[in-house]
Amino acid sequence: MTAIHLVDLGRRRYGEVLELQRRLCRERVTGQRHEDLLLFVEHDPVITLGRGTKATSLPIPPETLTARGLEVFEVERGGDVTLHAPGQLVGYPIFHLSHHRPDLHWYLRAIEEALIEALGRFGIQAERNPGYTGVWTGGRKIASIGIHVKQWVTFHGFALNVSTALDLFDLIVPCGIEGVTMTSIAREAGAVPDLDRRVRAEVAAAFGRVFDREVVTADAALLVPPVEPAADAQR
Amino acid sequence: MATKIVMEALSPTMEEGRLVEWKKAEGQPVAAGDVLAEVETDKAVMELVARAAGVLLKQTVAAGATVPVSSLVGWIGQPGEAVPDGASGPATGAAAPAGASAAGAAPAAGSAAPAAGGTAAGAASAGVGAGAGAAGAAGAAGAAGAAGAAGAAQGGAAGAGAGAATAPAGRVKASPLARRIAADKGVDLTRVTGSGPEGRVIKRDLDRAPAAAAAPTRAVTRRRPDGPPFEDTPLTQIRKTIAKRLVQSIGPIPTFYLTTEIDMERAADLREQIKATQGDAVKVSFNDLVVRAVALTLVEHRACNAWWLDDKIRYWNEVHVSMAVAVPDGLITPVIRNADLKSLTEIGAESRELAGRARERKLKPEEYTGGTFSISNLGMFDIEHFTAVINPPEAGILAVGSIATVPAVVGGQVVPRKRMRVTMSCDHRVIDGATGAEFLKTLKQLLENPISLVW
Repeated sequence: MTAIHLVDLGRRRYGEVLELQRRLCRERVTGQRHEDLLLFVEHDPVITLGRGTKATSLPIPPETLTARGLEVFEVERGGDVTLHAPGQLVGYPIFHLSHHRPDLHWYLRAIEEALIEALGRFGIQAERNPGYTGVWTGGRKIASIGIHVKQWVTFHGFALNVSTALDLFDLIVPCGIEGVTMTSIAREAGAVPDLDRRVRAEVAAAFGRVFDREVVTADAALLVPPVEPAADAQR
Repeated sequence: MATKIVMEALSPTMEEGRLVEWKKAEGQPVAAGDVLAEVETDKAVMELVARAAGVLLKQTVAAGATVPVSSLVGWIGQPGEAVPDGASGPATGAAAPAGASAAGAAPAAGSAAPAAGGTAAGAASAGVGAGAGAAGAAGAAGAAGAAGAAGAAQGGAAGAGAGAATAPAGRVKASPLARRIAADKGVDLTRVTGSGPEGRVIKRDLDRAPAAAAAPTRAVTRRRPDGPPFEDTPLTQIRKTIAKRLVQSIGPIPTFYLTTEIDMERAADLREQIKATQGDAVKVSFNDLVVRAVALTLVEHRACNAWWLDDKIRYWNEVHVSMAVAVPDGLITPVIRNADLKSLTEIGAESRELAGRARERKLKPEEYTGGTFSISNLGMFDIEHFTAVINPPEAGILAVGSIATVPAVVGGQVVPRKRMRVTMSCDHRVIDGATGAEFLKTLKQLLENPISLVW
């Protein structure tokens, strides 16, 4: 059975990882790469605008944000504005959905399922909020999802607040939903020893269960471009 | 001839999509596989890919608009070409019913490539998958043609352009009314005998066409339903009686056997095409084709994808194919799990890996238990035909013989053809004769039109 290869990139700048994702997706589409990847990363504070961003979602002009040291990126993922910052687990699954299910709704629900399962391990009862993709608990939003699919290869993904400084979200209207309150695992579950490591382990395990694949930890060397382009199968 | 661009379904449950942004301007050249636009549903963005080359003649929908799945969003054609007005397709048949589209794809895919004529959502999914295949290097002529057929069926996205124009040979003569009725009923026109002038299919023929003529919807309906992995069904009185009586006759598993001969010419061609385009990078064996075909057939014939559990029958929604592998002192059946969801190459890689470890006795118990149907292939030993023993609690096993070139009658001529005989052993407590026969009929159709195994 093919496995999901998990690569933890640690703390990286958004722009750098964006380019990496785009390249990995392209390599998978053209058949130079054959494995499903799950990238874990933590970003320096950054605001990203998805394809569904409304004009009202970013009340502060981008220049002002940039002046305050916050980068702003307009990206190809679905969804409205979001914010990444330290203390947030960002996951980028680069999966070939033809090998799972060529069904974007199923894929979004599967990511939610994995995060809900993982949160359950910390005693947090998380749930879906129909019509509002993402993961919620007690009416507060704990994880955001936005994806892009190129010939059934996915990139972009989810952002789960582990111990994020939540006041940062006041800079934006998260996901374009007025009045939404953001929360984090630390806020919901209180002090948990070794939280970062445990969250990564639980999320990885939950992805394995939900997508019915073994999850193997891989070295960042796996992400180096393949030397010789090999042709992929039917895809 | 201009080709329609339609809103594709990114999910079977998707009803409408928002065209986020056009990536090509009107008048800009377009190559097949180019990204035309981005489509958003929920929080997912997917690229809408061109299935024809030329120029983007027209964007009929503005960026930001939300439109129903399968509706027209633009046209691709030759520079200066006029865009057909209204929703009706051009005479060449970009929006013609499935039968004609399949005929259009014929020179590449073989004269009876199963046309995708089912639901809009399902057909669109197939179109996307196949489109990716064509763009992604497996661009065997067949795959490209099939992409055309699937796409055209969803409403004309693919316009099997060149195919339709240059291939009158495989084309069905039919009246426009007959074509519309066929499209509505999901009937494949290639399977209908015409009684009009020169064998033209007319309305009367379709009124008579039995439901069985609607076979080609399979390519798109062959999707495992969402839900639990299996459903237990208590025994009905008739099943209890069948079980009791037949066990008295032949027990403890009352088995019967069904044999059919399958023409493997096209399967052999497909392998050659894959070999020619992929070189040594990709290995697809006949066995891989059989495994995939069986898996897809099981999705459709759940009655054969079942366990006999004494007081009930467990009908599996999941498809786990057990594969008999000879080991030095016996045999073992590693299981290809969820085989219906795996591509040919994935099946190939996994079966070789499992068989390798089976011979080294390195399989874990969970790797050789839990199958829902078995395949035993002795073709490599030149066995023409045999019967295999059921692996309980599974209700069926398929014995696969060798592929031999034998004289066959095709179109009234005796010609050499590659044929393969398969025999299915059925547990009669679960599978009745007609049920097993239907299973084999579908399997035979799939293997004789193997292009549908690729996407």
